[in-house]
Amino acid sequence: MKIQHLDALNDIRETGLNKLLHSGPRIGVGMGTCGIGNGAHAVYEALKEALQKRGLDAYLGPVGCFGYCAVEPLVNVYLPGQPLVIFSEVKPEDAEYLVEELAAGRMPTRKALCRIEEWDFLTGEVTFGHGLPDIPRWDELPFFRGQKKIVLRNCGLINPEDLEEYIAIGGYFGLWQALNMPSTDEIIEEVKKSKLRGRGGAGYPTGVKWSLLQKAKADRKYMVCNADEGDPGAYMNRNEIESDPHMLLEGMMIGAYATGATEGIVYLRAEYPLAVQRLEKAVAACREAGLLGEGILGTEFAFNLQLVEGAGAFVCGEETAMVASLEGKAGRPQPRPPYPAESGLWGKPTNINNVETWCNVPVILARGGAWFAEVGTRNSAGTKVFSLVGKVQNTGLVELPLGTPLKDIVYGIGGGSPDGKRIKAIQTGGPSGGCIPALHFDTPVDYEALAELGAIMGSGGMVVMDEDNCMVDVARYFLEFTHSESCGKCIPCRVGLDESVRLLRKICDGEADMSDVEKLEELMPMIRDMSLCGLGQTAPNPVLTTLRYFRDEYDEHIRTRRCKAGVCENLYLSPCENSCPLNMRIPGYLQLIKEDRLEDAAEMIWLDNPLPASTGRICQHPCENRCRRADEDEAVNMREVHRYVADMAFESDLQRRVRERLMKGKLPETHKRVAVVGAGPSGLTAAFYLTMLGHNVMVFEEREEAGGMLRYSLPEYRLPRQVLMEELAVLEHIGVNITYRQRLGSGLSLDSLTEEYDAVFLATGTWNETQAGITGEDAPDVWHAIDFLEQVARNHPPPLGERVVVIGGGNAAVDSARTAIRLGASVTIAYRRERRDMPAIAEEVREAEEEGAELIFLSSPQRVVLDERGRVTGIELRRTKLGDFDASGRRTPVSTNEFFTLPCDAIIMAVGEKPEPDPMRRAGIQIRKNFTVVVDGITYETNVKGVHAGGDLVTGASNVSATMSTGKAAARAMDRILMGEDRMDRILKTFTYQNVAPREPEGGERNTSPVRKPGERKDNFDEVMLGLVAETALQESRRCLRCDVKQQCASRAPETEGALS
Amino acid sequence: MKESIKLTINEQALTAKPGQTILDVAWANDIDIPRLCYLKGLSGVGACRLCMVEVRGVPRLLAACVARVTDGMEVITDSPKLKSYRKMVLELLLAERNHICAFCVASGNCELQDLAQSLGVTHVRYPYRFPNFKVDASHDRFVHDPNRCVLCTRCLRTCEEIEGARTWNVRGRGIHSVMITDLNQPWGESPTCTTCGKCVQACPTGALVEKGRATGEMTRTGNLLPKLTSMRESGR
Repeated sequence: MKIQHLDALNDIRETGLNKLLHSGPRIGVGMGTCGIGNGAHAVYEALKEALQKRGLDAYLGPVGCFGYCAVEPLVNVYLPGQPLVIFSEVKPEDAEYLVEELAAGRMPTRKALCRIEEWDFLTGEVTFGHGLPDIPRWDELPFFRGQKKIVLRNCGLINPEDLEEYIAIGGYFGLWQALNMPSTDEIIEEVKKSKLRGRGGAGYPTGVKWSLLQKAKADRKYMVCNADEGDPGAYMNRNEIESDPHMLLEGMMIGAYATGATEGIVYLRAEYPLAVQRLEKAVAACREAGLLGEGILGTEFAFNLQLVEGAGAFVCGEETAMVASLEGKAGRPQPRPPYPAESGLWGKPTNINNVETWCNVPVILARGGAWFAEVGTRNSAGTKVFSLVGKVQNTGLVELPLGTPLKDIVYGIGGGSPDGKRIKAIQTGGPSGGCIPALHFDTPVDYEALAELGAIMGSGGMVVMDEDNCMVDVARYFLEFTHSESCGKCIPCRVGLDESVRLLRKICDGEADMSDVEKLEELMPMIRDMSLCGLGQTAPNPVLTTLRYFRDEYDEHIRTRRCKAGVCENLYLSPCENSCPLNMRIPGYLQLIKEDRLEDAAEMIWLDNPLPASTGRICQHPCENRCRRADEDEAVNMREVHRYVADMAFESDLQRRVRERLMKGKLPETHKRVAVVGAGPSGLTAAFYLTMLGHNVMVFEEREEAGGMLRYSLPEYRLPRQVLMEELAVLEHIGVNITYRQRLGSGLSLDSLTEEYDAVFLATGTWNETQAGITGEDAPDVWHAIDFLEQVARNHPPPLGERVVVIGGGNAAVDSARTAIRLGASVTIAYRRERRDMPAIAEEVREAEEEGAELIFLSSPQRVVLDERGRVTGIELRRTKLGDFDASGRRTPVSTNEFFTLPCDAIIMAVGEKPEPDPMRRAGIQIRKNFTVVVDGITYETNVKGVHAGGDLVTGASNVSATMSTGKAAARAMDRILMGEDRMDRILKTFTYQNVAPREPEGGERNTSPVRKPGERKDNFDEVMLGLVAETALQESRRCLRCDVKQQCASRAPETEGALS
Repeated sequence: MKESIKLTINEQALTAKPGQTILDVAWANDIDIPRLCYLKGLSGVGACRLCMVEVRGVPRLLAACVARVTDGMEVITDSPKLKSYRKMVLELLLAERNHICAFCVASGNCELQDLAQSLGVTHVRYPYRFPNFKVDASHDRFVHDPNRCVLCTRCLRTCEEIEGARTWNVRGRGIHSVMITDLNQPWGESPTCTTCGKCVQACPTGALVEKGRATGEMTRTGNLLPKLTSMRESGR
């Protein structure tokens, strides 16, 4: 039946509302591509069957997608008088339960995600009902908080295949309104007033574009919708059409009427079959209802619309290429001008807008341009739909007011990293966009701000990347995409991209030198400035932005032949080896243990890590974070295996044999003299490698024993002094000389060192405690963690009293707490952030709690409470609450006005450490504001020639393996400078062992060392972790999946064939 | 519309007629702008990007072969940036296929060679791709060697716009683009080719040549196409 007047439209609205607010239960199954991909079809069928079986009179129909892709399939359920409830991750087996509950007149509660009491469709409002307070309101979920649904107003709530439901929520009333405006100018004026800009990416003002077409004189004008969404990772347009095709059609009709166009075309990619199908249905329904064709809604307005399926060429997103494609030619762009508004399809004036632009139009008509302009920012009005994917907990389609900061999207809506990894960048705008580093996450998302950072809004793809993403690889990936999609018409894009891809591949393969990066840097601006169309002009963005923000990764690939993210295959051995700051060849020593070659294993371990027993106890074991065995059950306990090997050596004759082997592997005397200042882990590591490389090394240590923080800061129960002494003995045996009580700045001067030695390595660490800056901090019973731990390590534990409060959340705080417990105190740890933000090793925190430490969070120190004699009686703390996200993705604690006091007898402040600045300043060495020394990221050379620096002095307080790695890298660089070639590989002996990956995971469950019980350990300093034994170490080695074996397929081909046949 | 337009090219004050391209005006005033895909008498496609120029107040570079002059325009054709960009484009082109002059029949009569000389391209920094295309010598009179093609599409436009035969087309896309005759048939079997030879005259390099020529022997009639078009326009 043709709709000829407003009454007819209103009648249909009533019919539709009766469907939406059904007199019985109504079940809508989310059946976008995402829902169907997750099994929505089966859920729909199961519900249908269950309803039939139960004989329940309920409305069952498909709806679109509500956006929360991570928890599909979504099902929404309505019972008269009650809120609409959305259920997540619904399985076919849940159907019976849902139907049974509904039959009993109850709203089901299992798997309920959220409720919607009333919904503003913007073109109309619907109240479902109130109640069900136990189910969270939809906008209380983090994923939806801050979202504003304008484009997605109907998505997931109405049946996309039912015109009546679209009319029910006010659909086509905008068109009615437009048709009844006094003149078409006013429609365009309204769109101009709304400040709507093109959502395809370029952001051209829609109203201005329309008026160009309106003014063009021609017998025929075309209205085109660009639905050729082709960016990898972007699916906004697909979902918009699948979930609500009529909003697109209505927008186009309004645009056509306003500009005088009579022919409409939707250029939709054929890879979206469901969108094609739903749009075809919608067009047919409109024709039947008289919304398309002649005499629309009883007026003179005539408009025809057809669908053209694109073959999926990315370049056809470029309007002139799309026009060529519509005309049946190959999709190649033309130079502009002439713009399509002058001469477009078949040479006629043509207006081309993106899907999402069109979808905003009915709302602008219904609510007015001024209303729309108020959403978003001054220059970027309205909202934008983004497909948020990648390394975040919550993925899906999100719609946000323009101007929302990136961090709210990544950490708020996205929920941050799913596995606690460091998020390092977000890629916006697909292959034409750029990578924005986490540092810039407070940037508001609008057209200009993103462009300033070198990225673009694009059509709205957002890919979050973490430390496992290699930025060079990301650039390569996107460039390979644009390269393969280049039409080939202009030379800069056709040949320039080909050349660039080859350069990037060379870098990823570890075969590039610095001149290749220079070539890239030269080519990129040329391609950007010289290419014919948007594809070529924006293709360099991924490379330009990664070069701008992640230059260090390019350097690393080229200068150290390493890919820290573990993506570029040629540039690492295995994920564990790559994550280990010392790059220990972990699969190698595990295999050697399996082959019962303990001596080889020990030698390999020592060559890679000169302090294997210490690190085997206290390392933060980053190797486990990337261990692929964790996908099967748990990570391999690699750290404790090398501890086992080292402990075995110290207990047996193996030690002598390892020493002999190391001596044999030493390179001949070079007669070069190197001074190392500081005998901490970094200094000792540098000294070890420099000695192995044949240099004459002298280590200057300020204290009376070597080991640095390992000796004076790590408590005995974690790292027994005896173990450290054994390790030092090995170093001294191979020829490392240490001289004690030599303090840089008093007696020992850098000038004399540089004069006397061929090279100097500074690793004096961070021995100054940061002041918290609170009153009473210098009272006698307030200790700084470093001083406190050192006193205990020197066997002079200070008297603490009964109750101790430790301030801080790092390892120093937890070490202090557990030490204080062992000294007989009861301990409370106060930390200003939350538990999950604590930098301390999680196992240590857990063990501290087992020993009786109490933890309080979200509290920052305010004032030390003293009695009249100046003794500590307590500490006043201020409650904090979590505020905005900072650059690390953690919420910044914000002070509240709530104070409380913890009574105590002593306070240990562990709020961070920093280096001592004076000796560096005096020597003219460049330092940062936090007193750390500035060095080259690869050679660790300071601004003073011949003087290198490493360890905490450079990085700030870190951890043992990270600090040792700087010593290792510096030793390599110093040797290269002294000897004029890289000789490190000559001492890192290679071992031959079996290279076969296990077919099935072996070795059973993870083995960990026995731990002494809290009751047995908390009153003494005996070691807590007892270590693996021969059998468990072997079992653990067998658990390795051998990710380092990369050519297995070829070598085992015959066997594989047998298995297949 | 105004009768004449005032503009400057490289600070030289000039007048032009409305509708003229920057290249037309430069040409008329003996200002050389490098170009390769442009050929007088054919439609402009703005594909080679060698004729890109800077226009004050316009944030992008413009292709002089298709950009129309406007009143008050200030055009720069030879800034250091443009020179370096053009050199890069030419280097890329030389690396793309097998442009080895010592073995080329068009050597000495090759626009690519001339451009390399005038732009000072003395060596190519990018590795050569060395494609291995089959030479099509199936035609009685002409040879098509895609190894020497620069994909300027002058042959295609000549055939379509002047001869009206539409024998030439481009197959593939991106770096895999290649000129083909008809539906990728041997040229000699082309049912549409009229053997007029104008495409061979239009080719800037040694990709389309007459048979029987040795190295350096392929000469071309300089002004054939402009003559043809002006003859047609004047109705003769």
